Amino acid sequence: MKKLIDYLKEYKKLKSNKDTVKIRVAILSSFTTKGLKEVLAVKCKDIGVQAEIYLSDYNQYAQEILDNNSGLYEFNPDLVFLLIDTQTVLGDAYFNFFEKKEVHRKDLIMEKLDSILSLVKAMKKNTDAKIVVHNLMVPVYSPYGIIDNKQDPGLKEFVQKVNLGLNNSLQADEQIFVYDYDAFCSRYGKDKIVDYKLYFLGDIKLSLDYFPELCDEYLSYVKPIMALSKKCIVLDLDNTLWGGIIGEDGMDNIKLGPTPEGRPFWEFQKYLLALFNRGIILAVNSKNNLDDALEVFRNHPYMVLKEHHFASMRINWNDKISNMKEISKEINIGLDSMVFVDDDNFNREIVKDALPDVKVLEMPTDPSLYLRTLVQSNDFDLLQLTYEDRKKGKMYIDQRKRQQLKSDTTDLTEYLRGLEMTVTIEQANNHNIPRISQLTIKTNQFNMTTRRYSAEKIKEFAASKEFLVFCIKVEDKFGDNGITGAVIIKKSSDSWKIDSFLLSCRIIGRKIEQVLLNYIFKKAKQKGIKNIIAEYIPTKKNVANNGFYKDNGFVLLSNDNEYDFFGFDTSKKYSFPDFIKVLEVDNNGEA
Amino acid sequence: MGKLKQIVAKILNIREDDVNADLSPDNTESWDSFNHLLIISEIEKDMGIQIPIDKVSEIRNFADLCKLVKGD
Repeated sequence: MKKLIDYLKEYKKLKSNKDTVKIRVAILSSFTTKGLKEVLAVKCKDIGVQAEIYLSDYNQYAQEILDNNSGLYEFNPDLVFLLIDTQTVLGDAYFNFFEKKEVHRKDLIMEKLDSILSLVKAMKKNTDAKIVVHNLMVPVYSPYGIIDNKQDPGLKEFVQKVNLGLNNSLQADEQIFVYDYDAFCSRYGKDKIVDYKLYFLGDIKLSLDYFPELCDEYLSYVKPIMALSKKCIVLDLDNTLWGGIIGEDGMDNIKLGPTPEGRPFWEFQKYLLALFNRGIILAVNSKNNLDDALEVFRNHPYMVLKEHHFASMRINWNDKISNMKEISKEINIGLDSMVFVDDDNFNREIVKDALPDVKVLEMPTDPSLYLRTLVQSNDFDLLQLTYEDRKKGKMYIDQRKRQQLKSDTTDLTEYLRGLEMTVTIEQANNHNIPRISQLTIKTNQFNMTTRRYSAEKIKEFAASKEFLVFCIKVEDKFGDNGITGAVIIKKSSDSWKIDSFLLSCRIIGRKIEQVLLNYIFKKAKQKGIKNIIAEYIPTKKNVANNGFYKDNGFVLLSNDNEYDFFGFDTSKKYSFPDFIKVLEVDNNGEA
Repeated sequence: MGKLKQIVAKILNIREDDVNADLSPDNTESWDSFNHLLIISEIEKDMGIQIPIDKVSEIRNFADLCKLVKGD
C-alpha cells in the first residue's frame, strides 16, 4: 500500500508530456489539505492523465469563490472540488447547538444550506468547470447522546437535513455534483478518519492516511470528464460466472444459486444484470465448448444472465487475446472501453500484456469477494445518464442482430434497405442538449472536427441566432438507436460553416450522413445561402473518414498541415438514399 | 536510530547520511511545519509509539526526536 509520503516522493518525479491528455483541477478547502494535490496528481498519472492542480490557501475558499478576479478563476479549472467540514460550517453552533431555541435551530438549517448553495452558485457564474461539493459529515456524537433524535431538530438530524437539502437543490443541475463525503467517512469509520493530534496541531480534519482513498473517489469524476469511463464488461465463464468447470463438472455440479458456495456467483450475476440495465454492455470471452456453455445459459435454474444480455459471445478454444479483438470489432467499441473479468491470473496477465488498453480487473482468489471487487470499481461512473446510456446494453444486442442480417445479405444496399431505417431530425432543445454535448465529448471516429462542448456551451449555441444545432434519432426494425448524430453550423450572411459533424459509431456505414448533409443543403437553400464551408481536422481516430466531404461533392479549398477546408455549392443537385425515411421535428422545446 | 533516520530522510527528501543530531527546521529548507507533522505521524505509525501533543512543539532538532523515541 502506497502511503502519503510515497506519493509526495513520486510527485517530485512527475514529468510534463505534451502528448498526454490534461485536466485542470482546483481544490478549495475549509481545512488543511496539504498533500492532497500531490496524491491526486500521481493518481491521475496512473490513469494516463496529466493533472495541473490548484490548491487554494488555507481556509480561503469563500474569498476565492466570491472574488471574480481570484486565483481560482484565473487558473481556469475543468473541475473544482469544494471540501467543507461540518465544524467550519456550523461555527460555534457545533458546540452550543442546543443553547439555541428550537425555532432558531430549525432556521439554522436553511441558513447553513443557503450559505453553501450561494457559494456553489456564485462559482457557477464564473466558471464552466464541473463543480463537486462535499456534503457534511454527520457527527457520531451529540451532547444529548442517545436522545439526540428526540430533539427537534437534534444535532445529527440538523446535519442530515442540510445534506438532504443540498441533494434536492442540486439534483437537476448538470454542472454541480454533491459528493457523499459522509458515506466516505462511514466507509472507513468516523472514529478512524480523524487523527486528533494532527487536527489540533495543524487543523488537518481528514487523517493523512486517507488522502489516497479520497483521491480514488475523486477519480470517479476525472474519468468521465476525460472520457475514460468504460462501456463494456467482458466476462470469463468457468469460476467467474459460476463455480467449477462446466466441461468437467457438468450442469448438476457447478456452483450457482442459493447455497453458500453458489451464492457468491449468483449475486455477482445479479449485480452484472443491474449494470446491464443501467446501460453497461456485456460480453463473454471463454475457453469452452460452445454447447456446454449454452446449456448453462439456457437451462440452469439459477443462471441470471441469459444469452440475450450479451452483445458478443466468444466461447471457443481460441486464445483470449484474439477473442478480445474480435469482440471489440463486433460491437464496434475500442479496447480502451473494455474491462476484462477473469478468475485466472495467467489469462489476466496475457491480456494485460498484449492489450494494454483493456482494463483488467484484479479478481481476488476467493469468489466471496468478487462482488465487492466489482462494486468498488469506479470505471463505469458517468456524470449524467442519458436515455441512450441506459438503453445501451440492449442497443448493442440489437446491433448483433443487425450483424446477423448483414452476414445473411450480400448486397450492401439490399442490407440497408432491409433495416427499414427512419431518421428523425430534431432541433436542439432542453431534452436533447445533454446528449448532444455527450456526443461531442465521446465521439472520435466519425467526427470531422472533434470539438468538445459542454451542455452549457451547446445551450448557448442553440439560443444564438448565429448557430444552427440539430441532432438525429435513428430507428430501424431491430430497435431504437436513440440520438446518435449531431451537427453544429455557424451561420454568416453569405455562407454557412459546419463547425461540428458527427455520428456515433453505432450507426456508421448506413449512409445516414448523407441525410444530414441533404438537410443542411436544403435549409441553407431556403435561406438563400449558396456556400457551405466544411472542415476536416485529422486526429488519430478519425482518419478513416478523411475522404467524407470529397466523396460527397465538396471541393477542396485549401489545406495546411492541420486543417482541410472544403466548399459546397448548394445550387448543385444532391441526392441521398431513398431507403431511409426522414422525419423532421421543428423546434418544440425551448432551448 | 537507523529507522528514524530513514523516515526523516524520506520525508525531508535528503540523504540518510546527511541526517545528524543538529539537523533542524532552521538549517533544512524542506523541514516546514507540514513535514514536521508528517514526521511525527510516520514515527508514531512505523515505530508503534505515541508522542504526546505537548512534546511535539518541543522538538527543535533531530537529537530531540531521538530522545523522544528512546523515551527519555
